[in-house]
Amino acid sequence: MNPHRRHPFILSSAMLVYVFLYAPILVLILFSFNASRANITFEGFVPKFTDRVVMDGSLVKSSPCGPFHWFCELSKNQDVLEAAGNTLTIAFTSTIISTIIGTMAALALQRYTFRLKPFSQLSLYIPIVIPEIVMGIGILTLFSQLFGLLNNALGLAGDSRLSLGLGTVIVSHIAFSVPFVTLVVQARLQGFDKSYEEAAMDLGANEWTTFRRVTFPMILPGVLSGGLLAFTLSLDDFVITFFTNGPGSTTLPIYVYGLLRRIITPQVNALSTVWILAVFTAVLLLQWIQTREQKL
Amino acid sequence: MLQRLRENKPAQGTLLAAPTLLWMIGLLIIPLLLTSVISFGRRSPDGDVIFTFTLDNYTRLLGYSTDCDIGQASCFNPLYMQILWRSLTLAFNTTVLVIALAYPLAYFIARAHPKRRNTFLFLVLIPLWTNFVIRVYAWMMLLRTQGVINLILGWLAGLFNVPFAPLEMLYTPGAVLVGMVYEFLPFMILPIYTSLEKIDNSLYEAAADLGANAIKTLWRVTLPLSMPGVVAGTILVFIPVMGTFIVSDILGGRQVILVGNLIQRQFLDARDPTFGSAASLILMIMTLIVTYFYTRKFGFGEEIVAA
Amino acid sequence: MSKSNTMKLLALFAIASMVLTACGGGGEPAATEPVAGGAKVTSSGFECPEPNPRMEVTSKELNIFVWTEYFPQDMLDCFELVYGIALNRDEYSSNEEMYAKVSAGGSAYDLVQPTDYIIGLMIRQNLLQELDRSKLPNIGNFDEGWMNQDFDPGNKYSVPYLGGTDAIVVNTDTVENIPQSWADLWKPEYAGRMVFIDDSRAVIGLTLLTLGYDVNTTDPAQLEEAKAKLAELVPNIKVFDSDSPKTALIAGDADLGMVWTGEAFIANQENPAIQYIYPTEGPILWQDNWVMLADAAHADAAYAWLNYTMQGDVFWLTIRDFQYTNPNTAALEYAKANYPDVYNAYADSSITNPPAEAVANGHGIKDVGDATPLYDDIWVEVKGQQASADSGPPQFGILALGIVVIGLVAWAVYRWRQNKANAINK
Repeated sequence: MNPHRRHPFILSSAMLVYVFLYAPILVLILFSFNASRANITFEGFVPKFTDRVVMDGSLVKSSPCGPFHWFCELSKNQDVLEAAGNTLTIAFTSTIISTIIGTMAALALQRYTFRLKPFSQLSLYIPIVIPEIVMGIGILTLFSQLFGLLNNALGLAGDSRLSLGLGTVIVSHIAFSVPFVTLVVQARLQGFDKSYEEAAMDLGANEWTTFRRVTFPMILPGVLSGGLLAFTLSLDDFVITFFTNGPGSTTLPIYVYGLLRRIITPQVNALSTVWILAVFTAVLLLQWIQTREQKL
Repeated sequence: MLQRLRENKPAQGTLLAAPTLLWMIGLLIIPLLLTSVISFGRRSPDGDVIFTFTLDNYTRLLGYSTDCDIGQASCFNPLYMQILWRSLTLAFNTTVLVIALAYPLAYFIARAHPKRRNTFLFLVLIPLWTNFVIRVYAWMMLLRTQGVINLILGWLAGLFNVPFAPLEMLYTPGAVLVGMVYEFLPFMILPIYTSLEKIDNSLYEAAADLGANAIKTLWRVTLPLSMPGVVAGTILVFIPVMGTFIVSDILGGRQVILVGNLIQRQFLDARDPTFGSAASLILMIMTLIVTYFYTRKFGFGEEIVAA
Repeated sequence: MSKSNTMKLLALFAIASMVLTACGGGGEPAATEPVAGGAKVTSSGFECPEPNPRMEVTSKELNIFVWTEYFPQDMLDCFELVYGIALNRDEYSSNEEMYAKVSAGGSAYDLVQPTDYIIGLMIRQNLLQELDRSKLPNIGNFDEGWMNQDFDPGNKYSVPYLGGTDAIVVNTDTVENIPQSWADLWKPEYAGRMVFIDDSRAVIGLTLLTLGYDVNTTDPAQLEEAKAKLAELVPNIKVFDSDSPKTALIAGDADLGMVWTGEAFIANQENPAIQYIYPTEGPILWQDNWVMLADAAHADAAYAWLNYTMQGDVFWLTIRDFQYTNPNTAALEYAKANYPDVYNAYADSSITNPPAEAVANGHGIKDVGDATPLYDDIWVEVKGQQASADSGPPQFGILALGIVVIGLVAWAVYRWRQNKANAINK
């Protein structure tokens, strides 16, 4: 038995770290109910429900939504909904594409030898270790030069002009997600027992059927983890999106950053609270699924 | 044709890897090459790139400016080396603090009851998945002059009748350090946890059987075996800290200039893409060197993957 | 994860995202339903005036790249409602940032808002297109004194938006000796208490003024002097903020500093102790303008926006929400006639309505052409210096801790390696 398990030092320091992790989050959530629009100090909850918003200076005295005033303001905010929509669209598209091509690459790297193999392996490690800003600047430079050339050469103008926007963001997200997907699936493939495949082939299956019925289901957990990782990376990305986005392709992280650049009302906090709740729900869902798994 | 493909294994491999390869070449290799080319260029007065070959940008980084003739005191300007050093020390300090905070927690989770482990892990995941920018903003609310921390301290001082002036915490380098530690703490907890969790219980039993007390077990068994996790976590923390510009922008009042800020400013404010590209390349080379030496010694484990 | 559960989860995500995208994405015009009588009303209850004249527009969207904290939300909403065009807005907080993004190419903006001095550069770089006067009938609404400036003679490329000054802002409650000149800001008693806008030309400019030089000098020796003097000031500045500098003042994080007109006005409204002082050397005068990018894809929508916002009954919203000095006479008259409180607050304030001597004493920033890199370099170098004498002791403590940790790690690794070697030898 481990002698340290209940050691008071470990327990107390662990709890302290949890407090450190959660204190800012709790303060954030608390302030999303702040009655003061200036949001410098906490001035209490909005006390009354009436059908109009009544302000006294920067204090909200009453509102149709009561203490949830800022959440209501948030729901009326078209920009937020658009940013959220963009974020999810980008995340989904880049996840699906990067998972597919990443899995393919993992299979290639793990099972085959071909001339470009060392180069591929190396180039997949690079995005994982270099700072995002290096990649972001590089991609921005590429797009700027490329679009400039293409627009002039092909004489594109108006709406058909190539420019930074949703497409460039998705393409960039795929670029930094693929290495992670590949790495995860490769790790899964490493412990893979080939005897299952050989058995299937012995029983008469061709290569595609073997892949479909034997290999793929067995690496599926790895593929899904990779996909989940890609999804998370895309959802939360700030730096690369910052350099490659254009008008109308704002994502939530960029939008929050933009909000911080203006008068910071509790609406930012309300948005943060909603985000935290969404994450919390997702985590609960995952945990519920995992416990169901373990019971099976 | 399909038959030929079936037999040609290397070709199959290439085909499978092709899309990824194309993506990497197009969006990684080519941009990096472009950045390199630009870094050797010169800047026009209006901020464009003149494509020539000059090492001016690199020498400027090292401190030696080539146009010393405008009445400067000396030709040596160590400014950029200072920025680099500042970023290195900040990354180092952050990593040290993060390890100090993450290790007990990871240990606690690894040694906890298996049924509860997931819950504890998920409690770590929630801040991790909450948006980066939001978490930085949260610290603004805590650290400002009328923020929550000063409020609590003031209230406590009132209780004990101690005179109290609000602490100036926001917009200082200390705030940037705290912000960085907070941002990257979860990235260290997970790898350390993964490697700790792998340690076989029987090892502990063996140590106990051989008469080792708690400290000795920690020293001889736990620490060495958790090294891969610490190393993986260090890479996940040290490198991003070098390149982050948001934390120092928001919490440092745009006063704390790190390498990430320098690069961002060169491109956005100073209109010198050649210099910014040079700085960007140096940053990348440094991180690659650090990573190379680390993984050479310790191996590129699955701990990064687990994170 | 079992396959069926994962499929369920994925399906859930897919549906959720499709619902959200359908609801919000795709740039739909803002807010509320038209009221029965046909008048458009924004979500804050403001009734939108009709466009006068209404322009022919075929574009479905308009992309503008503008300053932060500069547009009444009602103005933006109303344009979307009356024309049915989606308005996409990105923001910047310095001219240099805007210029970098626009000149890099690949951006899809139609209209941007440069301050006076950078327009010359943009014209030189062929980034702008000439404005078609026939499509700007409302241009007569502007006061003649703001038109035909030397950065754009004849207003071929630009129309004014708002103007203002950079001057000293002070919280008279917390600051004992109120500074009266730019040079006063160097006083050690203000160290660590100041907020400045993050604007290279303005800050370098005021330093040049304290030395008695011209804000637009191209003399390298003078600039060197300014750099040295500025290097003394920067460590005393607590925060540089061009996004919303009033926040630091209102929150008490800073007690004084240098900001723009509008920021000072709003800070003063929140806390009347915060005052705006025109320094003895003279404030810095500036004017923001609309320009259309040469490759704008939605020029017709851009003209519609310009004309609509130039209307007196629309532009007066800036007098209500973001109080800068207003060049639009139609807007001023409309406000005076219909919203006298708003108008009087504007007219009576010395912030938005600077006294004549302040204006006469003021200095405008101009394009310095080839000397621009000199200014840029000063800015980067001066700001790159480390801030105030900071964490000395804590730094050492952490360093010591670090050395200990490294020692530990090295020792642990050494033992690990030894164990491995022993295992192999067995």
